[in-house]
Amino acid sequence: MSTKPRRSGITDETPWVKWLLTGTALTFIGLFLLVPLVSVFAEALNKGWELYLAALVDDDALSAIKLTLVTAAIAIPLNLTFGVAAAWAIAKFDFKGKSLLVTLIDLPFSVSPVVAGLVYVLLFGSHGWFGPWLEENDIKIIFAVPGIVLATLFVTFPFVARELIPLMEAQGSDEEQAAMVLGASGWQTFWRVTLPNIKWGLLYGVILANARAMGEFGAVSVVSGHIRGMTNTIPLHVEILYNEYNFVGAFACASILALLALVTLALKSWVEWKAERDTEAARAAANAE
Amino acid sequence: MSIEIKGITKQFGAFKALNDINLEVKSGELLALLGPSGCGKTTLLRVIAGLETADAGQILFHGSDATNAHVRERQVGFVFQHYALFRHMTVFENVAFGLRVRPKKTRPSEAEIKRRVHQLLELVQLDWLADRYPAQLSGGQRQRIALARALAVEPKVLLLDEPFGALDTQVRKELRRWLRRLHDEVHVTSVFVTHDQEEALEVADRIVVMNKGQVEQIGTPEQVYDQPASPFVYQFLGDVNLFHSRVHEGWAEVAGQRFAAPGQSDAGALVYVRPHEIDLSRESTEGAIAGQIGHVRLLGATVRLEVQTADHETVEVELVREHYQRGQWQVGERVYLVPRNAQVYADYSI
Repeated sequence: MSTKPRRSGITDETPWVKWLLTGTALTFIGLFLLVPLVSVFAEALNKGWELYLAALVDDDALSAIKLTLVTAAIAIPLNLTFGVAAAWAIAKFDFKGKSLLVTLIDLPFSVSPVVAGLVYVLLFGSHGWFGPWLEENDIKIIFAVPGIVLATLFVTFPFVARELIPLMEAQGSDEEQAAMVLGASGWQTFWRVTLPNIKWGLLYGVILANARAMGEFGAVSVVSGHIRGMTNTIPLHVEILYNEYNFVGAFACASILALLALVTLALKSWVEWKAERDTEAARAAANAE
Repeated sequence: MSIEIKGITKQFGAFKALNDINLEVKSGELLALLGPSGCGKTTLLRVIAGLETADAGQILFHGSDATNAHVRERQVGFVFQHYALFRHMTVFENVAFGLRVRPKKTRPSEAEIKRRVHQLLELVQLDWLADRYPAQLSGGQRQRIALARALAVEPKVLLLDEPFGALDTQVRKELRRWLRRLHDEVHVTSVFVTHDQEEALEVADRIVVMNKGQVEQIGTPEQVYDQPASPFVYQFLGDVNLFHSRVHEGWAEVAGQRFAAPGQSDAGALVYVRPHEIDLSRESTEGAIAGQIGHVRLLGATVRLEVQTADHETVEVELVREHYQRGQWQVGERVYLVPRNAQVYADYSI
């Protein structure tokens, strides 16, 4: 009789299959994720720190960084508000057209960003539907900051809501009802009961939305007009520099985005870990009873 | 405070959850809404609380119309089946919540809140858990905290939705006795929903038996158990054996025994007999039903026998363990069934 512990036949694979699968996955990750990341920094620092820093403090680069930050600073709070409101409505209430709303929220995920940008040009461009009216009133949206914010809003639309809907649905509305019976107003219920329960999911959604807002290229590219020092965000600035064979400059700016990605990743892991730890602690305590 | 419910009707799509409900909850009493799942008892409780609005009808709190009052204004305490404690707050904060959300001018001082919360936690005997989080408590503890939280706002009415439904049998029994004692102490008008007839019989001052969105019977536990108003109530409150018979001049006969059927015209009748109200005999009396003992199941203090009758029906007989042993009843033995007590209802199906 064999003394080896019996393993489940379903997940039993010969060692070389395991190694092959793991190896393929690791090679893939290395080639397509790690090497590019390293090469961004390698290229950026190719000609030394001084040139790297010079490329970053260049006027146009600074203006691009500023615009990116401003765009995110406007788009993220707006989407946060919208996302929470939409998730609240969808998860806690039943109404007609609910499934349509859910589908609509997902739309930006399924539409190409370029198409999203074009839609705004068609609406607000000088030959667009509202173009003449906007011109009469001297409001510039396309090839200006408002257009960039709009395009960014569009592409980051689903992140917060998507993150919150399943969470809020799982939590149900018992606690909110309990709060209301105890005399809390809608506002008090939201701040004291709903928000604390969703804070980790919310933060997670915001982090993802922020990463997307700062890194968005397609939609912003269509509406921006690529005016240096005015309507260039970091990704657009990188493209321009690259096309001008200014590789150090391009990669230096790209490295900011790469750093942002790393910070996002770290934050994301931290939030996940924190949320996980909260539920783990709760579960462990419940099991200990 | 008394509650009057007048003609409450509630429909969910094509499903009639409540159909013209009329009842009165007396001040200070503990009333049970009893019925099978889907009978509308929880909906009725939520309508009283204001968590659900009725399509028609009126709710009066102490004589004044509260039909359109918001749940916030009704000053009710509500205990949910799954506790609904605020998971990110400590036990203390959970209980304090109702006091903290009050508008500034009616909000008690921090010291007063502290005093009241500890007083309530002592009342539910869980003062030592004040700093714990809900996830760290057992089911029974959670429900007691939920009760303390509901009582913190000094509600005029306490509403409990299957308060012990999610707990295991032992804890359930313990908690319902505790609830009864607590009610005798605080005397707040209370309505609780349950599908467990034992729970309702044990705890409530009065029971409202509901079925398919309608009230079947309202009465004290004794009334409901001893004089069930309908076959449904009779069946819902315990195990039954059903015999078919006919009413003749106000009497129905089953197995040689005559049972009163006052006021019923001569027609087919349904005669219900509880398993513990049937005697077993080895001697045939006139009209007694003959049968053969089939299965015997020991249920702790009682023994349940299945007796197969000549026309292949199964009659359940419940004996006290001692009687069973003294009688030396054997499986396969021929016996005669003699009902001691029965309820006769007109059989409308014929």
